[in-house]
Amino acid sequence: MKLHKVIRWEFLSHVRSKQFLIMTLLLPAIIAVAIFAITLSKGIGVSASQANANPPPPFIIGLLLGLILFIGAFMSGVMAMYAIIKEKQSRVVELMLSSVSAWDLMAGKIIGLGMAGLIQVFTWAATAYFVANRFASFPLSSLTLVHWITFPLYFILGYLLIASMFALVGAAIKDIHSGGAVGLIGFIPYLPMVLTPAIVENPDMTWLRIAGFFPPFTPGIMMLRIGATPMVSEGARFVPLWEIALSLCTLALGVFLMMRFTTKVFHVGMLMYGKSASFRELWKWGRQRTT
Amino acid sequence: MQDTTSLTIQNISKTFDTVRAVQDVSFEARPGQILGLLGPNGAGKTTTIRMIMGIMQPDTGTIGFSFATSDPVSIRERVGYLPEERGLYGDAKIHDLLVYFAELKGVDRNDAKRRASAWIDRMDLSDWATKKVEKLSKGMQQKVQFIAAILHQPDLVILDEPFSGLDPVHQDVIKAFIAELRDDGMTVLLSSHQMNRVEELCDRIFLIHRGQRVLYGNLAEIKESFGDHVVHMRFDGDGSVLSTLPGVCEFTHSEGCADFVLSQEHAPDAFVRQLPADMTIRALHIDRPPLHDIFVKTIEGRIDETA
Repeated sequence: MKLHKVIRWEFLSHVRSKQFLIMTLLLPAIIAVAIFAITLSKGIGVSASQANANPPPPFIIGLLLGLILFIGAFMSGVMAMYAIIKEKQSRVVELMLSSVSAWDLMAGKIIGLGMAGLIQVFTWAATAYFVANRFASFPLSSLTLVHWITFPLYFILGYLLIASMFALVGAAIKDIHSGGAVGLIGFIPYLPMVLTPAIVENPDMTWLRIAGFFPPFTPGIMMLRIGATPMVSEGARFVPLWEIALSLCTLALGVFLMMRFTTKVFHVGMLMYGKSASFRELWKWGRQRTT
Repeated sequence: MQDTTSLTIQNISKTFDTVRAVQDVSFEARPGQILGLLGPNGAGKTTTIRMIMGIMQPDTGTIGFSFATSDPVSIRERVGYLPEERGLYGDAKIHDLLVYFAELKGVDRNDAKRRASAWIDRMDLSDWATKKVEKLSKGMQQKVQFIAAILHQPDLVILDEPFSGLDPVHQDVIKAFIAELRDDGMTVLLSSHQMNRVEELCDRIFLIHRGQRVLYGNLAEIKESFGDHVVHMRFDGDGSVLSTLPGVCEFTHSEGCADFVLSQEHAPDAFVRQLPADMTIRALHIDRPPLHDIFVKTIEGRIDETA
């Protein structure tokens, strides 16, 4: 297995780029310092007593995390998509496939770029939290242990799922201008966002509970449900733990299957330079025996 | 060493939809020799190579390696590959990139660094070692790719069109390195459509056309079996008399210059003695026909047979 070498290379060569350093460290730092300076000079701020008076409901945290996930994963996903299209166009892929398996190459790219993206998401989220706290109170005391454990898991797995769905688009299309309908695949996990108000209001609806087990929708639905549930029923009834566990399992399985499908499409597609896949071909390529 | 084989290909075939890209191809490659896989564009060379590299699987037939290892994962590490489709990560630094490629071939990281530096020096790329690949000229990028193919000291190296896009100076540099690899006991599989350019490098050749074998064997023996000689002459005086000499055919002639074929039953030394005494010869070149001519004749012969 040379997967870790590919991950390391993809991660480091991305993290070392000037663009990444500016976007991840410099820009958030400038924003944080600027906001801090402004609030200090104008005397804006929140006193400690105000801060503790009104902790935000967890569903806000769930919603915010969901938003960060979808924006961050979108950026990483598009990056992975570009990287794969570039890999195919620069033809370096043939040299790579003479050394590593298509799986090591694809999974390495998605995970390596994903890790770089997660760092970026983390610095931005930390900056946003810092800035928000200058204007209003957002103590994290309303979060329980379950939140602390489940949110990061949904976040990371959801992140990988979305990134690999965009990678699939990159594997399937010839260049960035010829995506066609296949280009929309990456947006499937975003669909639950449209239903945010309904989910927050009524997180126990049967169809929601069922939809939560289907990987593309899992991260969006589950984070909102887990965030919203205690607020709705003050009896502190929680999303059943088995639902959480099962949905995490299906999500992890979904990530694996999606990455494998992407690998197959990539392997078949890369040997047919200059052709974009239709949905039907995508299905055919994804099931083709390659090794 | 001559009798051992490191790569044995038996009856491999590959069909894409309706195109039969490779049909029943068999050959062997030996350590310390260069095997030329030659044929026009679209003959099936790259498909054959991709099957050897494990990028594709043949529909039928077998590909066997006999290296020190028989573990399929390690076999990949014992083979070096220069793809026809050239490409590198443009935003990576040359030294880093070479170390990465060597590591993927199972070379220890420190070892990889040392070897990469040594090869960068040998290829006169020292000033560029920490530059990004995209800053390099095409010829230099090709050198980097060549290094990537051999940095891990493979047993078998496959070079697909190693001279395409290179100027004559770089071509000579790469040629010298290929000869060196052979002398070090490596098995070299050299694929090209420019038969005449690579024939001098090859010990044995496999000529392929439309996915099928045309000729296969020792280059010198193949040339010997064709028997004819091609003659190029420059001279002062009337050249038309040359066409009347025994054995001369396919005669073309212009002012002070003649090209023709000397058929196989007429030896070159006998021919030279028959040249008219009053002719002032400026240049005389007699040689076995170039591989391309042999190829074309063999193909034509086949077409005549089937017609």
